[in-house]
Amino acid sequence: MASLLQPDRVIYLVRGEKRIRASLSQLYFCRYCSELRSLECVSHEVDSHYCPSCLENMPSAEAKLKKNRCANCFDCPCCMHTLSTRATNIPAPLPDDPTKTTMKKAYYLACGFCRWTSRDVGMADKSVASGGWQEPENPHAQRITKLIEYYQQLAHREKQERDRKKLARRRQCMPLAFSEKYGLGTRLQRQRAGAPISSLAGLSLKEGEDQKEISIEPAQALDEVEPLPEDCYTGPISLPEVTTLRQRLLQPDFQPAGASQLHPRHKHLLMKRSLRCRKCEHNLSKPEFNPTSIKFKIQLVAVSYIPEVRIMSIPNLRYMKESQVLLTLTNPVENVTHVTLTPCDDEDPDDINSTAKVVLPGKELVLAGKDAAAEYDELAEPQDFQDDPDVVAFRKSNKIGFFIKVIPQKEEDADVTVSFKIRHDFRNLAAPVRPSEEGGGGAGGAAAAAAVSEAVWLTHQVELRLGPLAP
Amino acid sequence: MPIFDSLGSGGEKTAIVIDLGAAFTKCGFAGETGPRFIIPSEIRKPGQQQAIKVVQYNINTEELYVILKEFIHILYFRHLLVNPRDRRVVIIESILCPSHFRETLTKVFFKQFEVPSVLFAPSHLMAIMTLGINSALVMDCGYTETLVLPVYECTPVLPAWEALPLGGKAIHKELDGFLVEQCTVDTDTTTGQSVAAAIGIIPEETVEDIKVRTCFVSDLQRGLKIQEAKFNLDGTAERPAPPTDVAYPLDGEKILHIKGSIRDSVMEILFEQDNEEKSVATLILDTLVKCPIDTRKVLSENLVVIGGTAMLPGFLHRLLAEIRLLVEKPKYSDVLASKSFRIHAPPAKPNCTAWLGGAIFGALQDILGSRSVSRDYYNQMGRIPDWCCLSSPPPECLYDVGKTPPPLMKRAFSTEK
Repeated sequence: MASLLQPDRVIYLVRGEKRIRASLSQLYFCRYCSELRSLECVSHEVDSHYCPSCLENMPSAEAKLKKNRCANCFDCPCCMHTLSTRATNIPAPLPDDPTKTTMKKAYYLACGFCRWTSRDVGMADKSVASGGWQEPENPHAQRITKLIEYYQQLAHREKQERDRKKLARRRQCMPLAFSEKYGLGTRLQRQRAGAPISSLAGLSLKEGEDQKEISIEPAQALDEVEPLPEDCYTGPISLPEVTTLRQRLLQPDFQPAGASQLHPRHKHLLMKRSLRCRKCEHNLSKPEFNPTSIKFKIQLVAVSYIPEVRIMSIPNLRYMKESQVLLTLTNPVENVTHVTLTPCDDEDPDDINSTAKVVLPGKELVLAGKDAAAEYDELAEPQDFQDDPDVVAFRKSNKIGFFIKVIPQKEEDADVTVSFKIRHDFRNLAAPVRPSEEGGGGAGGAAAAAAVSEAVWLTHQVELRLGPLAP
Repeated sequence: MPIFDSLGSGGEKTAIVIDLGAAFTKCGFAGETGPRFIIPSEIRKPGQQQAIKVVQYNINTEELYVILKEFIHILYFRHLLVNPRDRRVVIIESILCPSHFRETLTKVFFKQFEVPSVLFAPSHLMAIMTLGINSALVMDCGYTETLVLPVYECTPVLPAWEALPLGGKAIHKELDGFLVEQCTVDTDTTTGQSVAAAIGIIPEETVEDIKVRTCFVSDLQRGLKIQEAKFNLDGTAERPAPPTDVAYPLDGEKILHIKGSIRDSVMEILFEQDNEEKSVATLILDTLVKCPIDTRKVLSENLVVIGGTAMLPGFLHRLLAEIRLLVEKPKYSDVLASKSFRIHAPPAKPNCTAWLGGAIFGALQDILGSRSVSRDYYNQMGRIPDWCCLSSPPPECLYDVGKTPPPLMKRAFSTEK
C-alpha cells in the first residue's frame, strides 16, 4: 500500500515556458506571482561556499583567491578520500647541543582508506600540523603570464583603433556605402562575431607608439623529439606504479604518469544554492549561511501553500466500468480553504496523458485550517461541517477523504491516468497593505489587516496515476 | 597572479572557458595556467548504470537540450562554483562541429543560464595562441577523429582541412577486439577462461584504462616490422619480440592477462595506411599539398600536435619519423620542396593546449566583449552566426539606430571575405 504514496503518482502541472509535470514535493510556489515553479524555471545562484570535510564557511572573495579549495583539508591523490594528519616522534638534534638528540613531533599526511602517505611521494615531514603543505607550482606559469601580457597589449591597441574608427565613422555616412560596394577594405577590418577569429597579428607592435613595449619570444620548434626508452619494450611494468587516467586528470597541470609524482591537492569546496523566480526576481529558496545548518531563511515550497492530493485506496479497475477511488486532500495553511474540483475539457491541450474519464464531486469541499495545537487539545469541539457522506468519506483536522469515480477508457491499459483541475482560494499574506486601508487609522488597522489579504482563486491541473487494470 | 584573478580592467569578472570534447571536458577560468577540472563528457541519470554521452550529434534537439542543460548545470554548480549570470563564456569548439549542436548549446547558455555573452573559439586557432607565433600546422588527435587544419598569419586556411576517424574511439575498438580474441581471465575458481565467458563485455572505461597504462607507440623500425608481420602475405616476416605480458586486475576477483603483443601493436592502426593510403601522418602531408606554395615552408617548420590521443608515449617521435619517411615518396616529394619538419612544445599538456589558448584569449577583457555574441544580439536574431552561414548580419548593424543596412548586405557575399 505504500506504493500509493510514491511521489510520481500525483503530478501537478507547472505552466512556465515549457509544460513541466512534477510531484508537489518537488515544486516551489512564488507568492508574488501566485504560480507554481519547478527547478527548471527558476534561476539558480551560488549562495555560499563551504568545505565538505571541515564544514568551514568560506567567504566568496577568499574562495576565489584559493581557487575554491579549502586551506586545511587535502584529498588523497590515489583514492580521493580526505587525508588526515598524523604525528610521529622523530629524534632531532637540539639547536644548542648537536650531539644530544631530543624527540620532536613531525607531521605527515595519510589516507585511512588506501594507506597512501605523503612520504610515498617524497614529501618531507613538516613540523607544523597545518599550513606547512604546499602544492607544487606549474612550471609554465611565467611563460603563460608573459603571453597574456603581450596579447593584452595587442588587445588594448585593437580597442583603441575600434574606438577611433567608431568616432570617425559617425561623421561620414556616404563614403562608407561606397567603400562597402567596391572595396574589401572596411569589410576586412570589421570583426564578425562568429567568423573564425581573425588575427590580432594585424596590430603588431611595429608602430611603436607605446613607451613600454612588451615583446614576446615566439616559441622555438624542435627538430627532434625524445624517443621511448629501450626498457619500455622489454622491461616489465608494475601496474600499481602507473597512475590511472582518473588520477592523472585530477591534476590537470601535471598529469603525472608515475605514482611517485602524485601530490595531494587541497579539497574542493561545495556550495549552497539559492533559487530565484525568473519573472519577479524574488527569492524562492535561500539556505542558512552556516554550513552545519540545514534550515532555510526563505523556503517557499509548494507543499506549504497548495492543498495536496494523495491517493488512499484504489479498487479493481475494469474497462468501461465505474469504480470509486478514495483520495485525500490536505490543507497546509491555517485558514479555512474551499476547494472545487472540475474535470478537464475534452479539447484541453494540456491534457495529454489521461486514459480514463472521471466523475468528480460537484460540490465545493471545505477544508479546516491547519492547527498545530489541535492534537494536544482534546477538549476542543470539532468544527461542524455538513458533509455529504457520498462525497466525503472522513474528516480529520485539516484533511478530508473524498470519492471520485473513474471509468477507464482504454482496454489493456498499463497505467490508468486521470486528470482534473483543482480550484482553491489562496490568501496572499505577503501582499503589502493597500493605501486605502491605511487611511482608516490605527484602530481600524488591526481589523483591516485581517481583511487585507484578499482571496485569490488559483487553479492547478492534477494528474493521477492509478496503476494497471485488474486482470 | 592573484591581482589579475580578482580584478579585471574595469572590474569585470573573469570569463569561464569550456572545451567540450567528445570524451573529456576541460573547464576553468580565463587567465589561469590550466583548467580547473577535466571531467568525462557524460551525465548519469539516477537509477541508470550506463552514463549518457553529452556530445552526440545524432539525437533530436529536445533530448540534446535536456542533456546539455544537465551537464552545464553540473559544470557550474559542482565544479566552477560561480553564478552563470555574471561571467562571459568562451567555448572551444572544433571547426567541424555541426550547426545544430552549436545552436542548442547556445540556447542552453542564453535561455537557461542567462550568461551575458558567448564566444565560440576554434580549437586549432587557440592552440597557436599559446606559442606566440602566427602560423602553424595544427593537428588535433582527439577521441572521435584526428583533424588537421593549417593556420597562416592567424587565419585558418579552411579549404586545406583534412580529417580521419582515427582517434581514441578507434583505438578502443581495436583494443577491445584484441582483448576479447586473445586474452584470458583468471577468477577465484577458474583459470584461463575466455573474456566473453568470464565477464561478457569489457566496459569502455576499463579498455581506456588498459590503453593508458599499458600501451605505447613503437618507433618507426619496430612499427614497420609489426605491420609487415600482421599483413604477412608470404609467411616470412617475423614480428619483433613482444613486450612483457601484464596481469591486469578487474574488480578485485578477476585478473585479465594481457598479452604483450597487444601492447605495442594496437597503436599501429594510427599509422597503418588503409586502402586509400591514408594514415595520421599522411594527413599532414596532404594538408601541406593543399596549402598555397609560399606558406608551405613556414607551416612545415611549425607543427603543433594537440589532443588527448597525442599524449600516448612515443606518439610524437613516431609521427615525426613517419612524416619524414613518407615525404620521400614520389607522391609528395614531387610536390613539396622543403622537407624539414619541426614540432613545437606548447606550455601545457596536449589535451589542455586548446583550452589554454582559450584562457589566454578570454583574459583579454578589452576585446572579449566586442568579439562575443551578446545575449541581446541572440534575443534579437534568434540564432548565432556560423562561419558556414553567411546570411546573418554582423552585430554592429544592430546598434546603429535608424540606419537601415545597405541593400548590398543581402547579395551574395562571394566577392567579400
